[in-house]
Amino acid sequence: MLRHITNLHQVFRRQISSSVRRKLENKVAEKQKIFQEANGMPVHLKGGIGDAVLYRATMGLTVLGTACVIYELVKAAVPQKKA
Amino acid sequence: MAHQAHAYHMVDPSPWPLTGAVGGLLMTSGLAIWFHFHSTTLMTLGLMLLLLTMYQWWRDIIREGTFQGHHTPPVQKGLRYGMILFITSEVFFFLGFFWAFYHSSLAPTPELGGCWPPTGIITLDPFEVPLLNTAVLLASGVTVTWAHHSLMEGERKQAIQSLALTILLGLYFTALQAMEYYEAPFTIADGVYGSTFFVATGFHGLHVIIGSSFLAVCFLRQVQYHFTSEHHFGFEAAAWYWHFVDVVWLFLYVSIYWWGS
Repeated sequence: MLRHITNLHQVFRRQISSSVRRKLENKVAEKQKIFQEANGMPVHLKGGIGDAVLYRATMGLTVLGTACVIYELVKAAVPQKKA
Repeated sequence: MAHQAHAYHMVDPSPWPLTGAVGGLLMTSGLAIWFHFHSTTLMTLGLMLLLLTMYQWWRDIIREGTFQGHHTPPVQKGLRYGMILFITSEVFFFLGFFWAFYHSSLAPTPELGGCWPPTGIITLDPFEVPLLNTAVLLASGVTVTWAHHSLMEGERKQAIQSLALTILLGLYFTALQAMEYYEAPFTIADGVYGSTFFVATGFHGLHVIIGSSFLAVCFLRQVQYHFTSEHHFGFEAAAWYWHFVDVVWLFLYVSIYWWGS
């Protein structure tokens, strides 16, 4: 049983170190190039189309949320006539 | 092309303060709506908005620092001041709950039986899981310091391993504490003992989760080569926060678990 655990540990270690070498290269220089490009984009949109999608979704929720809050608070503030 | 003639960071206009503020408004009014009208829609919307804001705002800070080089020494100094001031404000936050605990426990009222712990309260044994939790957090303080030294010495693999260990210890603490909460022979509704116990330890637990998340982000950043041996303030901020969480626990353990039992 104990040998199984130590063997498993070695396999795990082997898999992890080989996958680390294969997949994780230093991509910071590429990112620096993208984000230092003189295209006039603000940092929150400079990463590409994904940024714009996420921004629009967030702003959409913000506008919707503001409307919901005003509606709920007005509703809560006005006494409801009991039927 | 115009370049700045100073070392400070003039940030790009950002929508995140607005979205965060609206998120906060939705969370708080949503909480009130939930309490009175049983609808969780507003609160859920607020939570989603806050999570989206946090993700994008902090993502942008990483871009500004690591990818655009805006975090010069004077800017980093400002960030350090900011983190120290924030942690100080959190110290005061916890001080309030300790004040409440000592107020009630140093002069227990007749309604409690004139004693502390109050009559009928079965306290947790401080030398069982709470002591283990103390050891876990102290160990995590050691591993996070190990991670820092590894970072400063350029030992990439060790930094990753020790940071991972720190996060695992944090998760272990959270799991143990969750089990304790489930098994506890008293609830938050059990008078001032229950209130002070669960509010103080509960907020601490929340801070453990926040700290673990911050460290996890640092882990991902270290794996992606964001940190250098000289410049890794994000990690230092996370480590400061983690030590703060550890110290709060020590005070909780000594005051509530040990003296208060």
